[in-house]
Amino acid sequence: MLEKIKNNFNTQTWVLIPIAIAINIAIGQVVVLLKLPVYLDSIGTVLVAVLCGPWAGALTGALSNIIWGVAVDPNALPWWPVAFMIGYMAGRMAQWGFFKEWWRVVVTGFVVALTAAIVSTPIAVYLYGGITASGSSFITAYLMQTGTGMVQAVLSTGFLVEPVDKITTAMLAFTIILGLPKRMVGGYPKANQVEVSGGASNTQMYIAIGVVVLLVLFAAFMLRNILGG
Amino acid sequence: MHERLSFHIKRDSLIHRLNPLTKLALVLALVVVAFTAPWYWTPHILLLLAIIPLSMLGRVFPEFFKTATRLILPAATFLFLMQAFFQPIGEDVIFKFYFLDITQESLMFAFRNAMRVFVMVSTFTLFLLTTHPSELMSDLTRRGLPGQFAYVIISTLQILPQMQAKAQTIIAAQRSRGLDTESTFLKRAGSVLPLVGPLVFGSLVEVEERAIAIEARGFTSKHAKTSLHEIPDLASDKFIRWVLLALVILSIAANLWLS
Repeated sequence: MLEKIKNNFNTQTWVLIPIAIAINIAIGQVVVLLKLPVYLDSIGTVLVAVLCGPWAGALTGALSNIIWGVAVDPNALPWWPVAFMIGYMAGRMAQWGFFKEWWRVVVTGFVVALTAAIVSTPIAVYLYGGITASGSSFITAYLMQTGTGMVQAVLSTGFLVEPVDKITTAMLAFTIILGLPKRMVGGYPKANQVEVSGGASNTQMYIAIGVVVLLVLFAAFMLRNILGG
Repeated sequence: MHERLSFHIKRDSLIHRLNPLTKLALVLALVVVAFTAPWYWTPHILLLLAIIPLSMLGRVFPEFFKTATRLILPAATFLFLMQAFFQPIGEDVIFKFYFLDITQESLMFAFRNAMRVFVMVSTFTLFLLTTHPSELMSDLTRRGLPGQFAYVIISTLQILPQMQAKAQTIIAAQRSRGLDTESTFLKRAGSVLPLVGPLVFGSLVEVEERAIAIEARGFTSKHAKTSLHEIPDLASDKFIRWVLLALVILSIAANLWLS
């Protein structure tokens, strides 16, 4: 076990982690500036998870939220277990070969999203009584107001909001890895996990983007049903 | 967007002179007590009788007040309003608006929750105001925290402002090339990659160079490292930590016993 954790970390990993944390935070802020309905604040975490392994990814995620909380916005602090599990799951999926083709990357993003939704539920319920200070809490609040139980309301909001964000994150991370020269990837502990055989196909990329668009439409449709009904 | 990265204010006070670990223990103890003590008014009393006096004792009250009103109060207020409106508990409706109603119970519930979050965030702020991050890190390293963790935290705090500045530069550069970051949703969504790409690629290029540089400075060496600064850990620090531990245990016990 300890050996498995240790093999995630070489000097390159330790150097990559602070940069990845800074990437998380800086991109998170850029996306806020663009007023998009996603966070995209775990691209760095996913990069570390895929290149170095699940434990390195988990550490990056947890430290991201802690440092974000400490240096920028204290409200990010309590969510570190969510970021931890995002990094861990992304790393595990990559280990199982789910970071080599576009459709597999979409699956990774989806699994990570479900994990994030599940892990954030107890935090939202116990720490905030279900309703947090984030915008998506309006959905939770509406569901609770119309008689849904607190846990179900928080979970369904998570399942509705997370997939779009996490699949986009995974796809952006994959795009970045595809664009990196081979010799820059080679020094990381799990470089072989991202070796794409025969190049990634463009058709698949378009299908993957189509999936995300469909998900956005689905989420919008569900929202209208919830808020309109 | 240029956030101040370290809240730390260099002053000489009783709180500043405490060992960093003692201060960390104080923060954690206050947060645990605020969340577990079974009495309704605990977080409110903690704020009035512990956190604010501590910030005065640390001679950082003006800064503490400013950070609290700028960073924490808006979030806590929003949380309070959301909870007051949306918690479907209680019978005694005070105020009704469309499908939203405020009951006395939901108001009380919201007030306590907002207060708990306020206590949690404001104690951390107090900690950050009175503790320099590298002081905390070298103290924890001396107590056995692996040096790599200290490296990650300290260098993140250094890299982050550079990265934020770089992000600003990239946004400005891409805008001057005609990238649309403000109009329709599709255009804004399309501008993610041209902004994210250069930022990430540009920073990943540095990794190998940095790795070689710190390797050459004995980063992975297993030998004990000497420290330039000695951070005092007095008997009073140890005493305070034990008292805090006792408080936490009492609070959790009271929670289990009374509820």
